[in-house]
Amino acid sequence: MKKQTDTRNRIRPDGKAKVTGRLTYLTDLTLPNMLFGKILRSPHAHAKIRRIRTEKAEQIPGVHAVLTHKDVPGVNGFGIIMPDQPVLCEDLVRYVGDAIACVAADSIDIAALALTFIEVEYEELPVIDTMEKALDPDYPTLHPDGNILHKAGHKRGDTEKAFSECAVIVEQTYELPRQVHGYMETEGGVIVPEADGQLTVYVGTQHGFKDQFQLARILNMPESDIRVVSSPMGGSFGGKDELNIQPYGALLALKTGRPVKIHQTRQESIRTSIKRHPMRITMKTGVDPSGYLLAHQTWIKADTGAYSTLGPAVLDFSVEHATGPYVIPAVQTEGLSIITNNGVAGEFRGFGGNQVTFALEGQMDRLADRLHMDPVEFRRMNLRKSNDVGPLGQRIAETEGASLVLETIATQYQQQIAQKPASSKYSLRGYGTAITMHGGGLGYGRLDPAGGRLSLKSNGKIEIAFGFEEAGQGILSVIETLVLEELGCDVEDLSIVIGDTALVPSSGSTTASRGTSMVWHSLQKLKQPFKQKLIELTAANTGIAQTELRLGKAGIWSTKEEYDQPVITYQDLAIQQREEIVTHTRFDFPTTPDPIDSGHFLYTFSGVLAGVEIDLLTGKVKLIQLDQAIAAGPVVNRNGYIGQIEGGGAMAVGYTLMEEALMKEGHYLTTNFDTYLMPGLSDMPFLMNTIPIEDLPEKDIYGPRGVGEIGTVGVAPAIASAVFDAIGIRIDQLPISPEFILQALEEKGGVAVE
Amino acid sequence: MSSHTNEHGSIINTNESAIRFQLNGKSIQKNLPPAKRLVEVLREDCELTGTKLSCGVGRCGACAVLIDGKLTASCLTMAYQAEGKSVTTIEHLAKDEELHPVQQAFLENGGFQCGYCTPGMIISVDALLTSHESPSEDQIKEALSGNLCRCTGYGGIVRSIQHILTQEKEGMHRE
Repeated sequence: MKKQTDTRNRIRPDGKAKVTGRLTYLTDLTLPNMLFGKILRSPHAHAKIRRIRTEKAEQIPGVHAVLTHKDVPGVNGFGIIMPDQPVLCEDLVRYVGDAIACVAADSIDIAALALTFIEVEYEELPVIDTMEKALDPDYPTLHPDGNILHKAGHKRGDTEKAFSECAVIVEQTYELPRQVHGYMETEGGVIVPEADGQLTVYVGTQHGFKDQFQLARILNMPESDIRVVSSPMGGSFGGKDELNIQPYGALLALKTGRPVKIHQTRQESIRTSIKRHPMRITMKTGVDPSGYLLAHQTWIKADTGAYSTLGPAVLDFSVEHATGPYVIPAVQTEGLSIITNNGVAGEFRGFGGNQVTFALEGQMDRLADRLHMDPVEFRRMNLRKSNDVGPLGQRIAETEGASLVLETIATQYQQQIAQKPASSKYSLRGYGTAITMHGGGLGYGRLDPAGGRLSLKSNGKIEIAFGFEEAGQGILSVIETLVLEELGCDVEDLSIVIGDTALVPSSGSTTASRGTSMVWHSLQKLKQPFKQKLIELTAANTGIAQTELRLGKAGIWSTKEEYDQPVITYQDLAIQQREEIVTHTRFDFPTTPDPIDSGHFLYTFSGVLAGVEIDLLTGKVKLIQLDQAIAAGPVVNRNGYIGQIEGGGAMAVGYTLMEEALMKEGHYLTTNFDTYLMPGLSDMPFLMNTIPIEDLPEKDIYGPRGVGEIGTVGVAPAIASAVFDAIGIRIDQLPISPEFILQALEEKGGVAVE
Repeated sequence: MSSHTNEHGSIINTNESAIRFQLNGKSIQKNLPPAKRLVEVLREDCELTGTKLSCGVGRCGACAVLIDGKLTASCLTMAYQAEGKSVTTIEHLAKDEELHPVQQAFLENGGFQCGYCTPGMIISVDALLTSHESPSEDQIKEALSGNLCRCTGYGGIVRSIQHILTQEKEGMHRE
């Protein structure tokens, strides 16, 4: 039998196709008779639509359809929680990504030309481009229920009384920027009207069945008539979970009766895609004279933009994670998700955890400083223990993760500070740490179904099917590795099916770090009945006792004698069996037994060590070290795991040091990667260090946790801490610009360079 | 229609001319609008979709190809500029099922995740290793400064390159 370390270093199944350029992404598809679609977006952040005229555009040779709100047969709206975003606006536009019309033409250029001939008369309205204006009664409301999309809160203990007993209180406001997902493949694909009246949607998404549901509502078609092929994707990071171009492609395909391809340009993508929520977070935190946390108040304001998408859920997540892995007796958290005319904010890797973790860890550093305590020691004395309740007071799966990551990263830190000298006399180095915890799954009270299907197909292949999508995260690799381990068959015996609503069972969304966890859980439920069926059949066929049979390469093997081939091959077993052998499972993501809305049950933890070198002449903060200790249970695929942590880390480095989708009066000032800067190789430490802590509590029954998000959550506060270590300046706003550093240094009167 | 304005305001001339170039070792002649972007010529007219279009402004490197051996952004190259040149795309690196050493190294060392930047990244690494036998850290950073990857954080890409360099070193010692 192979050692686990071998199976967990497997080359990913989609690897060869990717390194050779042979993998066909959905935006690479070209079909016979295909048209090209383009979408007309609003030039204004807020305006009434007086009139829309499409006649001139329709007359352009090569144009096959020009559609407006009148052509939407069903609900003219989309949104995972509430369908409040118009597919095609009728009388009002609320942001510059709002769609007014769409065109199908013989070529992209003709479609783009046609957009310029669509005449729309607007009456501009006051633009609500800040959260202050949104809450100001002098400004209009953007939706019937007002400009507050969602309020969320949590309260335990008496904060007022607790603060009165505090020896030290720190209060600080933190400002977090709007971040672009920056998936390399922009939104797109091909939508095909089939001869039988059905529709096939070849467009990447993180939840094919959810797209099917939303499209059915828009198109007024039965869900069963819509097939969504949703995988593979060239990155998503939460950004393609909501609908993007699907409704337009679908409407145009149905109207013209021809396949329609839409592939957004990067400029179109940045203008229309959801972003990470900009947040303003004020935290007030107090400790007793010995340094124990007594009270913690948090006020969160999130700029959710013009439409809801997953804004409410992101805010709930922020509220939950406002206390992180710390034990605090008195807590009060209040959050507002505020509607503005800015770009729509929604799901993004970390899901509101990144923002509050930056603020919370900033508080911990400031309190330790005020107490003249070592920041690690201060965290250690306030840290949750294995059986403590979760951040909303809910029971959670037992976990030592918090102390494991803290102690691991503290050791890394001790080894680093010896190397403090900087590379030149005009620069200074600093090191900092931060820790965090992050919930997986959607949380208590949300529909969070999972499931899978394991079959022996008539061609002799063992087929494993999940309703997940491959966005790059490596779910295919996780599925392959775990099936091979659990069943004992060979990779040649296996066929993996994902990302196609016609072929897969419902597994829930490919979000919330839930994929790995749900694949493992599914296999625990599927493997025994499946093996049992195969072994029963083999025993009946061969007369060998069931207890002497096992699954192996190419078929069922005897455990007793030394055969050089299986007693029966999967192929022969399949032929002898008239019907396919199928086992299903369907269950829900594990949740806390306590009825606390949105509370999570399975958490992962990270401890981050960041090292920076700051150029005192230019103000540039250069990241020179990034180590992450991760407690998330066993590693399933080594390269996949490290890639998620390092890649999540890089995304957070961008968030901390350079990325901000600036807006002015509701218009993006950054429109492409020449003005929106994401980290390149030279912005990252040449080598990073990922330290997986794989141990789980002895009685843990929940297996490997997903690591899609945890690597991106704790990085920003660690860098901020490193900046303070280098130059003694506290950071309360991201990204940390060179201008800020230079100005802060000047105000401080410079720093002593040794 | 011989010309019109595209969405970026530039004039698209749809008059076609015959353009001849070498593509992955084969002679190609196509009637193309001379200003059509090479990335689109490759993807649409030549049906080679390994080369990707992502930013369209020469920043991200997803569209990187070699023109006469020189690393080039095919989104900033017009069809007529390929006239008489030799263009190499990702599809030409593997010889049937035998991967190019850079591809093999990426495969084994986590040099990719979603794979969308990967063709351009591999082309760039290949160009680097062709011009530098044993590149330094700074030379590697410089060589890949035109390629963005949003998935890996570049860790797996650096390990892939180091793996090739180590193998080559070991190979030399054996000789």
